[in-house]
Amino acid sequence: MKEFERYLLNRIAAANSHTLPVYRQQGGYKAIEKVLKTPLKPEDVIAVMKDSGLRGRGGAGFPTGMKWSFMPDITKDPRPRYLAVNADESEPGTCKDRVLMERDPHGLVEGCLIACYAMRAKAAYIYVRGEYRLSYDRVQAAIDEARAAGLVGKNILGTDFSCDLWMHKGAGAYICGEETGLMESLEGKRGHPRPKPPFPAGSGLWRSPTTVNNVETIFNAPFIVERGPEWFKAMGVPKSTGNFLCGISGHVNKPGVYELPFGLTARQILEEVAGGVWKGRKLKAFFPGGSSTGLMPASAIDVVMDHDSVKAAGSMFGTAAMIFLDETASIPQVMDVTLRFYDHESCGQCSQCREGTQWLHQMFHRIARGKGKREDLDLLVNLANGMAPGKTICALADAAAIPTLAAVKHFRSDFEQCIELGRDPHAPTHAPAPELQGAH
Amino acid sequence: MSQPTTPTPSDKPATIKIQVDGREVEADPKQPLIRACHDSGVDVPMYCYHPGLTPVGSCRICQVEVAAAPGQPSRVVAACRTPVSPGMVVQTDTPKAHETRRECLEFLLKNHPLDCPICDKAGECDLQDYSFNEGQGKGRSSEPRRKLEKRKSLGDVIVLDEERCILCSRCVRFFQDVTHKPQLTVSGLGSRSTISTFGDKPLTGNYQGNLADICPVGALTLKPFRFQARVWNLSKSLSTCAECSRGCSITVEALRGKEVKRFRPRFNAQVNQYWMCDTGRFAYAPVTQPLAPAGSALGGRLAGAAVRGYGGLELVEVEPALAEAADILAAHPKPLVLLSPFATQEEARAALELCATLGVAARFVSPAPSALKDDLLNTGDPCPNRRGLTELGLAPVEPAQARVELAQARAALLIGERIQELLEPAELAKLPAELRLVVFDVCAHDLPALDVAVGAPTHVEKSGQWLNIDGHVGVLNVAVPPPAGVGPLERTLRELRAALAPSAATR
Repeated sequence: MKEFERYLLNRIAAANSHTLPVYRQQGGYKAIEKVLKTPLKPEDVIAVMKDSGLRGRGGAGFPTGMKWSFMPDITKDPRPRYLAVNADESEPGTCKDRVLMERDPHGLVEGCLIACYAMRAKAAYIYVRGEYRLSYDRVQAAIDEARAAGLVGKNILGTDFSCDLWMHKGAGAYICGEETGLMESLEGKRGHPRPKPPFPAGSGLWRSPTTVNNVETIFNAPFIVERGPEWFKAMGVPKSTGNFLCGISGHVNKPGVYELPFGLTARQILEEVAGGVWKGRKLKAFFPGGSSTGLMPASAIDVVMDHDSVKAAGSMFGTAAMIFLDETASIPQVMDVTLRFYDHESCGQCSQCREGTQWLHQMFHRIARGKGKREDLDLLVNLANGMAPGKTICALADAAAIPTLAAVKHFRSDFEQCIELGRDPHAPTHAPAPELQGAH
Repeated sequence: MSQPTTPTPSDKPATIKIQVDGREVEADPKQPLIRACHDSGVDVPMYCYHPGLTPVGSCRICQVEVAAAPGQPSRVVAACRTPVSPGMVVQTDTPKAHETRRECLEFLLKNHPLDCPICDKAGECDLQDYSFNEGQGKGRSSEPRRKLEKRKSLGDVIVLDEERCILCSRCVRFFQDVTHKPQLTVSGLGSRSTISTFGDKPLTGNYQGNLADICPVGALTLKPFRFQARVWNLSKSLSTCAECSRGCSITVEALRGKEVKRFRPRFNAQVNQYWMCDTGRFAYAPVTQPLAPAGSALGGRLAGAAVRGYGGLELVEVEPALAEAADILAAHPKPLVLLSPFATQEEARAALELCATLGVAARFVSPAPSALKDDLLNTGDPCPNRRGLTELGLAPVEPAQARVELAQARAALLIGERIQELLEPAELAKLPAELRLVVFDVCAHDLPALDVAVGAPTHVEKSGQWLNIDGHVGVLNVAVPPPAGVGPLERTLRELRAALAPSAATR
């Protein structure tokens, strides 16, 4: 692996990296100063973001500059506009935003200011996952410090740009990380995703134009504004620029959150970053970007980790939360716990998702306990195809269907073995899974 | 009745043209695609969508195949959340659309209990009907079904069966969109979701019964109707609610055409939309009174007629009773004539003809407004045909004033359903026995003044018209036959007039 320039996590090594003085020492708030003092026009900031090729880090990989440009023209649409920052990081395997919020919250604050300036938003709402107490406290403290220093609130840095930042603590629902569910929750309602259209840019928070961005996406903005799009584009691969935070977990020697450039292979990440599979074992499978992306077999380990290459290989880059499974892992059990999560977290609006996630979970659970039937595998595929793609209001049904289809496709023999033997050959002997009840 | 005005080009709703199943149809751009399909006669199933509620697009059963224009790539969308656009090509009958809906149905049935044989909704259940049309014969699930509460009381009116619920949230939105007082919510997440009231408090308000109508399955049922009838044994007649001057359009449903079991609202854009209040919905008691015991005129519906003899009220045929009534009215000039506010236009006209013969003015009894008035439907005015009677020139008279006048009269004629109730039988019983009283009502009360009573039909036993508070015509139809010996009230009135003045009646 060749050397590459790091920028995302450079500041967190310093003691008290979360405080304003340390952030300033490390060059913080220079980007917003550049924007406001030059001054750059909001359109110029959006043009810079577009030029940089930054793609959203929340999972879908949508070009950020383009998303910002969807906000309606202020001269034709005088409604207030908002930025909502999605810090409800709750995809199994994903733990990257937490590092940024806990260790470098001012970077997020500065990013919010730049995004709000570019989109002429009067306020940003940072929706933090309820379990992230330290993240919440640190970002709140950073906002307070910044406000006291005249960096948040009215007439920022003495200019006529005013912008307020507000925190909101989620209550632990995965679905509130879906952008329209997040907006419903911010409005004080149940986090039920809204049908699209209307899209958030047309009618979002309180029916006003809204853009929802992931923490890491926003965190990239000050760097791009300060150092320029050319610098940013030079990193990564042509269609996935910059660095990304890779959360590595599972059966590896060195799990953790790493800053990596796009374009490495999964093998390079596993072997050179994560220290290889633990206990000298062999790799069996891996999720490339969180549990909702299709499980890939060990044979796919040479896939290049950028949005388009992973997609071409039949999975998704997602949030780059790589979960590696060694040869002792039981795929039926992995799918049992994966679907247990989606069954538990489905909001329950759409029939296919509410009933389908439960059904898939019940089937995987039964198969993992050795009670599977031969016809179950085809039924799993058939049901998953009935749930997705695009058949429901949001993508949670897809998030359950995609790994199901991938697991049955790549590991059919594992399931068949489980069914034939009447038990899971990989099952740990100490804890037999309890029988599922109809209600749980 | 307000005359429909000819729409001028400016106020005619602008429609756009779209293609549904190969036919060009007009669509209202303010309405979702499913409305355009339904309005053009194409059946698209729906559970969460209800034309009177905000669409949410959650059940996904209304999925159809849509292309922006002919030749464009098509995709499957939920018709209830898709706006119409000019030139749109909609196909409801493609293999892809059918398959998508079949999948959705299979998921909905995954946990739905197979208790159709004892479900009140069976026979009018959207889930059952659509399963019959499109569903597969064999279920593919071998997983345990959800076990939830089968009979959870949500107050005095509604029982919730959580297992049958398909979480369409129509009931939740009913209170949000119609009464504007939210009382229900979906609680729990995903497959553990259930419908519940806030804080598990019982439902309140006068509109709870509508929940059972809009529930597409048998999850919300009416306590008074539970296990009362199989719906396929109910004969349905178009009618009008009698409990206030709103005159909501309703369907009267009678078990095998005999016993009224249910009143249900019927869509009327100008009067009640899709709704009715519980006061009207549960007003069966006045129309399901049992007959008086054999040989007696008292204690129930009067089938036929009765006149006062030496031993009290004696049952007689209608004809001699009317002859006796004619004698009384002829013998006492200027008798007092009062109509029930339940009288139809037809009955009122017959009464006016009779009054012309008698040379007196007719008035109708107008009780004080009730406390049931609300800002949705109930007007609080217990006179369903106030507008019609007023337009025919009848003046209202309050019950107290009417009783004062009755006490001073020498002869009086009380005409129409419930007139004795409105004047209060206990008060009427205090009238002097010297008063010669003739009553045409559904039953006879034990009144010392009563000389002649002739049975009359209730509003579900007759046809006719009422005018509601805004002048809209409310139609009554014969939903159940009146008891043997009870004829239409207008015929009784004409026969009485004929008995009074044979030459006038033959005109």
